[in-house]
Amino acid sequence: MNALNKDSVISARGLRKQYGKQVAIDGISFDIAPGRIVGLIGPNGSGKTTTLKAILGLTGFDGELSVLGRDPRVQRDALMDDVCFIADVAILPGWLRVADAIDFIAGVHPRFDRSKAERYLAHTKLAPKMKVKAMSKGMVVQLHLALVMAIDAKLLVLDEPTLGLDILYRKQFYQNLLEDYFDENKTIVITTHQIEEVEHILSDLMFIRDGKIVLASSMEEVGERYIEVMVGPQHVNPARALQPISERSVFGKSVMLFDGVARTQLAALGEVRTPSLADLFVATMKGSYQ
Amino acid sequence: MSAEWNDNSPIYRQLKARVVGMMLDGVLQSGDALPSVRQVAADYQLNPITVSRAYQELVDDALVEKRRGLGMYVLEGARDKLLASERERFMREEWPAMLERITQLGLNLEQLLQASRDSGAHGESA
Repeated sequence: MNALNKDSVISARGLRKQYGKQVAIDGISFDIAPGRIVGLIGPNGSGKTTTLKAILGLTGFDGELSVLGRDPRVQRDALMDDVCFIADVAILPGWLRVADAIDFIAGVHPRFDRSKAERYLAHTKLAPKMKVKAMSKGMVVQLHLALVMAIDAKLLVLDEPTLGLDILYRKQFYQNLLEDYFDENKTIVITTHQIEEVEHILSDLMFIRDGKIVLASSMEEVGERYIEVMVGPQHVNPARALQPISERSVFGKSVMLFDGVARTQLAALGEVRTPSLADLFVATMKGSYQ
Repeated sequence: MSAEWNDNSPIYRQLKARVVGMMLDGVLQSGDALPSVRQVAADYQLNPITVSRAYQELVDDALVEKRRGLGMYVLEGARDKLLASERERFMREEWPAMLERITQLGLNLEQLLQASRDSGAHGESA
């Protein structure tokens, strides 16, 4: 097995985690380079959250893992200066006021820029005296984002960040992230079930299933490798001979998804297009719950 | 701003086509600044790499230039250049198919001209 890649923001080799007899992550290896936005996508129970926990030093594991050049098991405190995390579960206490949260982070975090957080909050309905328990879920996420963006962390880990938010908050969340936080020196890892929402934001894709990585690729490669074809009735048999990874029927036409078959070859069978990530996900995860 | 993308060509191509459309329509004129990569990425919720790639193609086509530290600007003569290349492309790719269809339907020139006069379309020359 290759050694850890020193240039990567995250480098994993044979990462493995077991809860009792249940294997959550089954020896996965991957590298994430700086300046990338990576989607870690998988069905429920596939090992996404365990992987994130390992990255954040919140769980023990077997194998090798380096995050920003550090070992999350033993250098978690140093690591947390450069890593931020937004989880799907509300972890801010109900009695906390906006101003308290800012004071607290300003006190404990060396790289926190108070004015940046306040500038961001000025664009929201959040007032300094407002308590977390009086906030809607969308507002809590805004508060989180204000704190996180002002820390200017090198690595931002988002675990279902927009779960339960309405479409306005969701759109605004990613808009703020791209406008005020992200640049080529930062790296974002996102897990989400809302694939359509992040599809064009991602630079890389990792599909995880049963604790194994079943697809890891840049979005550019995904676009070249996977091609969907609307196959006319007369071409169905020759198309099937090329072994599509999935086939579904739309308006009496067969839509087949191919992996690594030349575009010119497929164009002879019908209209070709790039599959959506949702279609690719469904094709890749077929039979996950059986 | 909202954007709908189709699945038939890469997003960066579609984004490039939009900017080209804005130049042809005169919305973006010579000397105008293009919005920053960051701004377009945020507005359209795209990866910045995608936006950079579209902009890079516009630079390669000599339609915009990158001014150090300032951003991208539409070059002098970009619209004329586009009109020339788009006209050439129309004659090469779109017109033959259109002509074939006109011939197939047995329409003559007078009927076509009359139809465009009736619909109020005016043959504006650029």
